[in-house]
Amino acid sequence: MVEFDRSAFIGKFQEEAQDLLQRLNEGVITLEAEPANRELIDHMLRDAHTLKGSSRMVGLLEISDVAHRLEDIMVKVRDGEMAYTPEMSDSFFEALDAIVYLAEVAGTDVEITLDVEGLQARLTAIAEGGEMAAAEDVASAEGAEEAATPEVTDEDHSEELREDAETGGPGAEEEPGAVRPAMVGGREARADEQGRPTSADGVMKAKAQPTIRIKTGQVDELLNLISEVVIAQIKSEQQAVDLRQAVTDQADIWQAWLRVKSAVVSITNIDDAIATHLADEMAHLDSALSDARRDLSALSKGFADDMSRTSVVVNDLQEQGMRLRMLPVSTVFNTFPRAMRDLARSFKKDVELILEGGDTELDKKVLEEINDPLVHIMRNAVDHGIEPADVRRESGKPEKGTIRMVARQEGDHIVIEISDDGGGIDPEQVKASAIRKGYISQSEADSMSDREATYLIFEKGFSTAAIITEISGRGVGMDVVREFIVEKLKGSLDVDSRLGQGTTFRLTIPLTLAIIRALMLRVGDQLYALPTASIDETLRAEPSDVIKVEGREVIRRQRRTIPLVRLAGILGVSSEGSHGGKIPIANVGFSGHRMGFIVDALVGEQQIVIKTLGTHLRKVDNVAGVTILGAGEVVPILNIPDLMANARNRAGRKGSGPKKSAERTGPMKILICEDSFTTRELERSIFEAAGYDVEVAMDGAQGFAKLKEGLVVDAVVTDVQMPNMTGFELTKAIKTDASLKNTPVIIVTSLERDEEKAEGIQAGADAYITKSVFNQDTLLDTVERLIG
Amino acid sequence: MSDERHETVDLSSVAEEILRRRAESLAAETVEESADDRMPLLLFRLGEEWYAVKVADVREIYQEYAVTSIPCVPPYIRGVVNIRGEIISVTEVATLMGLDSDGDSDAEEAPAIVIQNEEATTAMVVDEIGDIVEVPTDGVEPPLSIIDKAQADYIAGSVYVDGRLIGLFNTTTILKPIDATSA
Repeated sequence: MVEFDRSAFIGKFQEEAQDLLQRLNEGVITLEAEPANRELIDHMLRDAHTLKGSSRMVGLLEISDVAHRLEDIMVKVRDGEMAYTPEMSDSFFEALDAIVYLAEVAGTDVEITLDVEGLQARLTAIAEGGEMAAAEDVASAEGAEEAATPEVTDEDHSEELREDAETGGPGAEEEPGAVRPAMVGGREARADEQGRPTSADGVMKAKAQPTIRIKTGQVDELLNLISEVVIAQIKSEQQAVDLRQAVTDQADIWQAWLRVKSAVVSITNIDDAIATHLADEMAHLDSALSDARRDLSALSKGFADDMSRTSVVVNDLQEQGMRLRMLPVSTVFNTFPRAMRDLARSFKKDVELILEGGDTELDKKVLEEINDPLVHIMRNAVDHGIEPADVRRESGKPEKGTIRMVARQEGDHIVIEISDDGGGIDPEQVKASAIRKGYISQSEADSMSDREATYLIFEKGFSTAAIITEISGRGVGMDVVREFIVEKLKGSLDVDSRLGQGTTFRLTIPLTLAIIRALMLRVGDQLYALPTASIDETLRAEPSDVIKVEGREVIRRQRRTIPLVRLAGILGVSSEGSHGGKIPIANVGFSGHRMGFIVDALVGEQQIVIKTLGTHLRKVDNVAGVTILGAGEVVPILNIPDLMANARNRAGRKGSGPKKSAERTGPMKILICEDSFTTRELERSIFEAAGYDVEVAMDGAQGFAKLKEGLVVDAVVTDVQMPNMTGFELTKAIKTDASLKNTPVIIVTSLERDEEKAEGIQAGADAYITKSVFNQDTLLDTVERLIG
Repeated sequence: MSDERHETVDLSSVAEEILRRRAESLAAETVEESADDRMPLLLFRLGEEWYAVKVADVREIYQEYAVTSIPCVPPYIRGVVNIRGEIISVTEVATLMGLDSDGDSDAEEAPAIVIQNEEATTAMVVDEIGDIVEVPTDGVEPPLSIIDKAQADYIAGSVYVDGRLIGLFNTTTILKPIDATSA
């Protein structure tokens, strides 16, 4: 017989562990504020115990061991043998993260790179430190708490958490099996809100809830079928209209027949035999026609009645179907307190996160997608928004910064606002940076409003920070976040900033991804759909309104000049041209750019159901998907970011991205200044493998001399500590030299203290990578972003 | 539960059977080809030539369908069709492989064979659908070395059917998802 195979259960364990870990994570945060919350400790103890047991069941002994040690510590805390100290939180989090990692790699061939033994030793030390170290711990911890690390979590915050748990209750009760990607891992299963350690009642209730866990794939299949039913319903509505028309037509025939009948009856000079025969035939036809008329009319009425009844059901079906996918925003929000705590720590800032509107419901697919953009905006707010404590004190603000994340529904959209009370975006600084990077000219900057300048942060590759730090520099820029929101979520991202008072990012997304409003338009003989979210206006312009500037067609609208592009040209399809003189144009605004698309005809606006292009056509330029109209015809949905980018490429990338990159051909060139042979050769091989031309110098002076001799490079990568001329001096020399100052400088160094980073910033470096996090991808990513 | 157990038993007995047969064929290498080691192929015509796909890769066959053209796709993608709410791409294999076909690529009466693997699904436009034939599994020979380079990737091998040498399509390469990134 088949042997019991543990690996088959690892998936189940991973699902379960996700829930437990999420609760434990939240528990630790609450515990920091209420170290004596006995009930909470009991809950956590139970979770750790479960974790221990189930991991042992599936043979993941390392997890079991770590969980066991956590349990040991918590038992002592519960029994009063040991006081809970904030320091323990760090070890707890480390342990929980380790379990997340171990659970994730379980069953795969990935080699475990974690120092499990070290962690186990540390945990044991805490547990055994127990009685004798307890007093000491408390004493030292008190000092540490104040001096060392700003905690996100404090009394207020845990209040907030508890409130959240209670107010989030109703929403959570609807979806105890709530599924979404948790921050702690890539799997989908996650904790339900009742699991919150602070609401013991919730746990009991959850158990009694009549709910089922369903694979999301099944729900999607169901929804796909529902949309087929909806389309079929639209079809039969059309048939009902056709039937009514047939009834009307038949009434006309009946009238015609009556006329014929009376005409025939009035014929007198006719053979009797024929007259009798004719009369018989006519009587027969008369009754047949009248029967058919009655039958058709009854059929039409019956069909219309049935259809209107079905219509109600189908509408309900669609609505209920869509609701199957709706989950409260709190399923995403819940992981943020922990994420914020980590972020605040790594940026050495004191920040409070306030979450509101967690019970707002959103399509699961949208929820899955908004997690990363929200985390990115949050990280951005901590890194660039909230000022250091001393700066805040000087400007009369509370030292603790506040980041507020609010979700609410507005019509058929969800709005999520992320606001910080930090320094705001300085339009002048943004402009200066944009000029330096070649996005805009000085004269363009002069004529730019502050608001327009603020939107420059959404330009491709633009970074608001004077410097790229590892945390905000790895990952993505605001441009990517915004494009993602527009392209993937069919929403929009706006920013509103007041210098000195703070910044608000406003994310507007449709309730569901499955249905959007779209403008239907025609080019050549085909219909296309353009999502209305990005359309500013549609117009039919007089040919005389279209003027030529620098060889390009533009149109003036509200004192703005909008470049015009022929959609047929971008799509590479043939166009019939518009008839009747007026030119139909759809004006689109995206990422601070405006553009008018000339089409053959504007057909109208309607709701459409989005479908993908199928499994074979994974990504098609300019096309986001298709929709199926009532008659079953398929219409391509256009992808606005693609269209804009391609239109700009055609126009010679004018006004988009650093201009120099458009003119360049051939490989990019990098100058590496580094006195260590090993590092130099390592960096050289990384860049050469990525297709760059590499030039090297042994120190700053030699590097600078090469540049002054006319060596043209796309970026300089430099060490800091070098003989003759340090990296900082080199950076300063480059940035103050008129002909070199636009060359990006990336500092790679082992110095990672803040003062040193500040010195790098002052010298004008564009990026700062510390050797401790140095790896090939970070280096290449950074360089690509700067010269992209 | 009982179903699963049943299946497990079946599978293991099948596996046993296979192992037993392998052992036997190893023991007597000259034993004649077992009549069970055959696979069904679906024949189809492109231009003057006949080709084949494994029946196992075929999902369904369409004689009539309405294609919607999609802009910015490779020239061998005619567009997409809506099959019961599922969107499926329509691939002109003749264009993809530089083969002859009856021409007039816009003719909508050309039949289509829907092929599928775990990764993707597409409808291949062909000129004519032929019979299903069974060939010995090991009767598939490597593709002819004189084959056109454009075709080499898409032909898995050749096989004799009624004395004719027929090219067997490689559905894996034909079904490779198209991932055009914006220029």
